[in-house]
Amino acid sequence: MEKLRVENLTKVFGKHPKKILQLLEDGLKRDEIFKTTQHTVGIGNVNFSVEEGETFVIMGLSGSGKSTLIRCLNLLNKPTAGKIIIDEENIMDYDKKQMREFRRNKIAMVFQHFGLFSHKTVIENVEFGLEIKGEKKEYRYKKSLETLKTVGLEGWEDYRISALSGGMKQRVGLARALANDPEIILMDEPFSALDPLIRRDMHTELLDLQSKLKKTIIFITHDVNEAFKLGDRIAVLKEGEIVQIGTPEEILENPENEYIRNFIQDIDRSRILKAENIMRKSILKLNNSQKPKIALEILDDSDFQYGFVVDRETRKIVGVVEADDLIDAIKNKKTIEEVMHLDYITVSKDEYVKEIIEKAYETKYPIAVIDESENYIGRIQRGSLLKALV
Amino acid sequence: MNEFPQFINIPLGDYIKTFISWLTVNYSGFFDGVKAGILSVLLKMQDFLIWIPWFAVILFIFALGWKVKNLKSGLTFTAMLLLIGLMGYWEAMMLTISIVLTAVVISLLLGIPLGILSAYNKRMDNIMRPILDAMQTMPSFVYLIPAIMFFGLGSVPAVFATTIYSLPPVIRLTALAINSVSHEMKEAAHAFGPTTWQALVKVEIPQAMPTIMAGVNQTTMMAMAMVVVSSMIGAKGLGYSVLIAINRTDVAMGAEAGISIVFLAIIIDRLTQSVSEKFKYDE
Amino acid sequence: MKNTNKIWLFLFVLILMVGATACSTNIPNDSEKTEEIDTEAVVEKETVVFGDAGWDSLRLHNAIAAFILEEGYGYETDVIPGSSVNLIEGMVAGDIAVMMEMWQDNTPAFGEHVKSGTLMNLGTNFDDNAQGLYVPRYVIEGDAERGIEAMAPDLKTVHDLMDYSDLFPDAEDPGRAIIVNGPPSWAVTTIMEIKLQGYGLDEKYNIVGSGSSAALAASLAAAYEKGQPWVGYYWEPTWISGKYDIVLLEDAPFDEALWNEGSKYACEFKPEDVVIGANTEFMQNNPEVMAFLEKYKTSSALTAEALAYLQDNDAEIDEAAQWFILENQELVKEWVPEDVFTKVMTALK
Repeated sequence: MEKLRVENLTKVFGKHPKKILQLLEDGLKRDEIFKTTQHTVGIGNVNFSVEEGETFVIMGLSGSGKSTLIRCLNLLNKPTAGKIIIDEENIMDYDKKQMREFRRNKIAMVFQHFGLFSHKTVIENVEFGLEIKGEKKEYRYKKSLETLKTVGLEGWEDYRISALSGGMKQRVGLARALANDPEIILMDEPFSALDPLIRRDMHTELLDLQSKLKKTIIFITHDVNEAFKLGDRIAVLKEGEIVQIGTPEEILENPENEYIRNFIQDIDRSRILKAENIMRKSILKLNNSQKPKIALEILDDSDFQYGFVVDRETRKIVGVVEADDLIDAIKNKKTIEEVMHLDYITVSKDEYVKEIIEKAYETKYPIAVIDESENYIGRIQRGSLLKALV
Repeated sequence: MNEFPQFINIPLGDYIKTFISWLTVNYSGFFDGVKAGILSVLLKMQDFLIWIPWFAVILFIFALGWKVKNLKSGLTFTAMLLLIGLMGYWEAMMLTISIVLTAVVISLLLGIPLGILSAYNKRMDNIMRPILDAMQTMPSFVYLIPAIMFFGLGSVPAVFATTIYSLPPVIRLTALAINSVSHEMKEAAHAFGPTTWQALVKVEIPQAMPTIMAGVNQTTMMAMAMVVVSSMIGAKGLGYSVLIAINRTDVAMGAEAGISIVFLAIIIDRLTQSVSEKFKYDE
Repeated sequence: MKNTNKIWLFLFVLILMVGATACSTNIPNDSEKTEEIDTEAVVEKETVVFGDAGWDSLRLHNAIAAFILEEGYGYETDVIPGSSVNLIEGMVAGDIAVMMEMWQDNTPAFGEHVKSGTLMNLGTNFDDNAQGLYVPRYVIEGDAERGIEAMAPDLKTVHDLMDYSDLFPDAEDPGRAIIVNGPPSWAVTTIMEIKLQGYGLDEKYNIVGSGSSAALAASLAAAYEKGQPWVGYYWEPTWISGKYDIVLLEDAPFDEALWNEGSKYACEFKPEDVVIGANTEFMQNNPEVMAFLEKYKTSSALTAEALAYLQDNDAEIDEAAQWFILENQELVKEWVPEDVFTKVMTALK
């Protein structure tokens, strides 16, 4: 179900932002507009939608407008034009009171440098949102304590913020956002200020939490690996405009342009690409009851050297044959079953390339890919495994 | 050609004079009201300060010095107060304190809200800026005379003049403090949908507190600096003694009263400074 | 901590001392300059420096004398402002040549320096002045024009104040009345205090010092503009007495014995002999200046007239001085030689 939709969202910074809209429509570029009018186009004509429970990552280099964009979503930045529709309501039409209610109940935010209140203790920080809502003190405390537990900070409630490490601080930031039970969580580069090791822990933690909580998360990052690791879908932002939106695999497989290609160059594809992303769909229909001659004709019509043999009834793989094997069978009047090899391996379509590579050494044949019901759906040539990585 | 042409003559001073006279005559009710208000505070404070036994004051300052700083400071403050008393300036000191405190309280009551307003409102800030500059650089004698016109002779115009002089730092530092609350912290606060008042009270003011307290310290010291000047319009206390001494070239009396002022200033400065230190948070 | 205190203390004392002698150290001494070029045919005349202690009659007399010295004798003149005590110190040091009004009772230091010879008394400027407790006339008689009713119709003498203490409440001390006294630096302030205590007025009145002459004037002016009752020390001639209609409360006629009895000053002030004070060395070097100033004599009434002219016409002090000379040509003629008088009069036209 769609949770949030952004339509033609534009944010211009400067004295008369509305006047710039026409220039944008005329197709002027960001730096041209800045040169002639001293106005900065933060984001221009951005469109996307986010499903409920989805982790939507917005990725871009610094200056790409990603922080501007995320701040539009809870109206910390007032957009210049466009629509932000959340649960069928355009939040840009909200008056002050509605906007407060929206922020109090529906949306929370986690900040890059934590944005914690240094004059409050850990628990007072977590309580903040509830305090603003006017919740009772006992409830506030109880709820915040629970939330602290879920982020692994039990026993730290009475400490000063200054006593915590960076990773712990961001856990407080996360707890503060979660304590409010928001439906949407905005995360503005939440882990970029942390050490790499701690960042990895936080990734795992976030994935765990999300698998339980199923919040709608909009996550900003400049780190490609982080984006591909956490995101259900990713939007790549460049100079205030979205270049491509898609699942990590879609983006890896079909980069929209040179910019995206450069962007994803450094990524460790083997951790992101799955079997189904690199397999060739099989159209071959060899089965164990076929005549070897017919099987050979089918194989000859394709460019394949090998063919997987499936059981006629169950459609499950039973072996693999080469053209030579089939010729041998024709000469010696053997059945396919008699000439097929059994030392093939199968992988599930969701298996990561990284794991498949390790298995590939165990066989000289292509690798068979099967779906949930173990039906044969495609094959991976050993050579294409390596090709997929570059 | 070198001289500024005489025929161009804007009698700005006359306009101001007329304005002041007009205010004096037509708004005397208002000024009398203000005067009565300030006086009631001042008199209560004066009565109270003179009523407390001297040893209680010394004991209190000793304890306070010990608590907010250290034992040594407590002892030093005690010695200073004793010396002031021994030189015979105890009552004068109390009168001075009551004027300074009243002026500081008024400065804070006006200054902190004004500082917050000018932090929030650019136009307000633009209006305030030159006024504050004027308040700080205008020689105090210039507004002492209107002060007498409005409030008559004595402690009330002294409080008025002292307030004018000591108000700017607390306004400036409050505005600065509110403005320099980290942007992210403000965003974090607002992301939770607080009203402006909630954000101000729960986040911005607590965060600004160390700097505001520095403003309180400066305001108090500025008020102390006006002690002698305000005696020129009839305020009693240590300043009056200094004034008499200076005018009669009585070095002994001047030194004693002067040293009393310095001691008092040191005690107030160290105490308010230590209190403002307590408001600092580690980031 | 301890050390800082010592430094503070030392600094403070230093500032006090520097303050007391500031005027005497800042100004280059012109007399040395003159000696160097004495051999030249044209003798450069010294600049005559007047002391301006801040009240108008003194500034008027400074301006009159300066005009005559400049136009009639060809001297350069200058004015240094300051408090009267500091100015006397400056005069002792030779930085100030003349002070046109020395109120001797208020400035005992002057008498001492005259005795020691560093300063000299060039004789009376005016001696028909008055001082004491004043009230605005409307307090006694009312002012129909301003719609003020008489508040104290029977108030004539200082002693009558006992019956009118309700009229002059001290806002800072509820239940008591207030008499505004002079600035603390003036000896007369102490005299007034003792005198009024002797009269028993301190039973009902607080006798409160005004901090400065400006504050005293502003206090009276503010009350007067608002038509409120006011009683306090004042003196004539001043612009106040020229501009505002104030009445001197009567006291016992001056009697040396009564004045000195128990040092209670139980009678009116002896009209003070306001003299011209000068630096002795300067006068010896410039005998023609000395001769002129020794003859310089005005009166309180004449001074008040010029001051009223000043106030009424919103004039500059120099304009008032020229007006004075023009109005009192006969008097001025007595002060200076014929040729000087002619030059002065020419300059006026």
